[in-house]
Amino acid sequence: MLVVETEDLTKIYQKRYIALNALFMRVEKGTVYGLVGPNGAGKSTTFRLLLGLQRPTAGSVAVLGEAMTAERADLRRRIGFLPTNPSFPRHLTPIGYLEFVGRLLGMPPDRAKIQLAQLLQAVDLTSAASQRLESFSTGMLTRVGIAAALMNDPELLILDEPTSGLDPSGRKQIIELIRQIAGRDRTIIISTHILGDVERVCTDIGLISQGRLIYTGPMSEMRRLARQGTISVEIEGNLAAFEEQVPTLDQFSSLRWERMGNEFRITFLGTQPLADYIQRVVALIDRTGVELLHLDTGPDEIEEAFLGRLEEDRSRDILRVAAWAATQEISGHEATRRPPVFEEEKRRLLANQPLPPEHGTHADI
Amino acid sequence: MQAYIALLRYDVGQLARSWLVRLWVALLVVPALFVVVVAANEDEKASETLAAYIAAVLVPLSALVVAIVSSAAVSAESSVAADSILSRSVTRSEYIAAKVTSRLGMTVLVFAAVAIPFAYLIVRYSKDVDTSVGGVVAGLLMVGTGLVFLAALGIALSTLLRNALLAALIVLAAVISSGGALQFLGLPWMSSTAVLSDLAAIFRGDVENPAWHATRVITVFSILTALGVAASFFVFRRRDL
Repeated sequence: MLVVETEDLTKIYQKRYIALNALFMRVEKGTVYGLVGPNGAGKSTTFRLLLGLQRPTAGSVAVLGEAMTAERADLRRRIGFLPTNPSFPRHLTPIGYLEFVGRLLGMPPDRAKIQLAQLLQAVDLTSAASQRLESFSTGMLTRVGIAAALMNDPELLILDEPTSGLDPSGRKQIIELIRQIAGRDRTIIISTHILGDVERVCTDIGLISQGRLIYTGPMSEMRRLARQGTISVEIEGNLAAFEEQVPTLDQFSSLRWERMGNEFRITFLGTQPLADYIQRVVALIDRTGVELLHLDTGPDEIEEAFLGRLEEDRSRDILRVAAWAATQEISGHEATRRPPVFEEEKRRLLANQPLPPEHGTHADI
Repeated sequence: MQAYIALLRYDVGQLARSWLVRLWVALLVVPALFVVVVAANEDEKASETLAAYIAAVLVPLSALVVAIVSSAAVSAESSVAADSILSRSVTRSEYIAAKVTSRLGMTVLVFAAVAIPFAYLIVRYSKDVDTSVGGVVAGLLMVGTGLVFLAALGIALSTLLRNALLAALIVLAAVISSGGALQFLGLPWMSSTAVLSDLAAIFRGDVENPAWHATRVITVFSILTALGVAASFFVFRRRDL
């Protein structure tokens, strides 16, 4: 079952700024979906449209199987929302605020009290329950926001930049909390521009850039794609000989590398399994007689790879056209299919090959 | 309905905590008590004392506060409204209905709580009581409906503009400039100046055809209020948050 379904969702502000550009998004029930993109990519706008806080300029939004509008309070009752840097009535205490949320949700007072007590304990705010929200830190306010979003035990939980403005320990705490919330058939959508945050909790991921979803699919697939071909080796010995031979690791030289002292970071742009590339690097080490000190595929590479893809998206108009063309192809049919991953474009981009000429035709448009 | 009641309670609580509203009440009550004491000891006509207080203190001060409070109704809390209220199971109509009820209700309540006891005390203690009960009721209703219209105008503007200060300034500018515009439109009797200058006569029941005079002012302000409220609903239901 699809919990979120957008079709050609477009939002243009004041006929000047395109915040969303024919967004085609599908989120299935029970998934933890990470919407990743840089600031201004359209994440918050997407959420506001999903909640009916804004009206689409064009296209449609369906949440929990029904069209969302500003007046669909019944539908919003089934959704929990945490905005970025949430604004709360600051004169209230967490208890007062959660009671207010309970009343807005039409919860019986007794049930609301039981629920808020449990939630304040879950978000570790029991000791601060008597303080006014105006004295809370960003992390504490985020936790209040999460508690408020969970008051109605929602089927869909939307968290907009839940780790924004938090220090590393606060970030870790919130991520751990989200991990605990996930499951029980609840669907969660998290937006962030910090990939590491979603990597730990998400089952599916969408990469949004300039109002378009440029990638969407299972997290495992993205992880595989992102890590594909990036190998870091720390070596000792005849480094010059090793460096000289690095370009020969791929017969089409479709790789890039950088050297930082003894460490070489080699990124293969092809689509072969990572094991093949590791084998080639190890063979080169053997051939050049250097001593291997350390080899890994680097846990941080995924974030770098994502940023790289965003950069590619920004700098290469051709990808934009490919995305547009692919979206045109799938719009209006195969509604239940996952959004396009643009396999061909992705493969060619990773292989540093030009896209087919028909895409160029669209570029002229 | 539950959301509407929750929002109404929340907004009334906010208004009750507002220093501006507290100051408003205090600045109306203190001079009113002073005027009552003076009226009890001087040979002033009750109608003129009542009209002077309303024209010099109650209306200018109330217009200023009502303009600010109503113009801030939606615009001043737009981020809280989006993040904490309208993203929950609340419709736009419930939200704006609660705002209209609380802000218009507050205007009526404060006006009634000050003006009615004040009028009673003036009539009770003045040495020269020249007022008629019907005239006082009509006069107070005219002023009250005028203030309520101002509140409705402020709320309508607060749904339209994101800047509460700008909305308040527009409301005040509209009040100040309305005299000339109404004169131009051939409706000088509707202007605040005309209403206030006729007030002493209305309290005495001296104006020509007093029932018609009061009724048309009250009716027009009531219709304008209804239009302002309708505009608030219309605009806010379509607005992006």
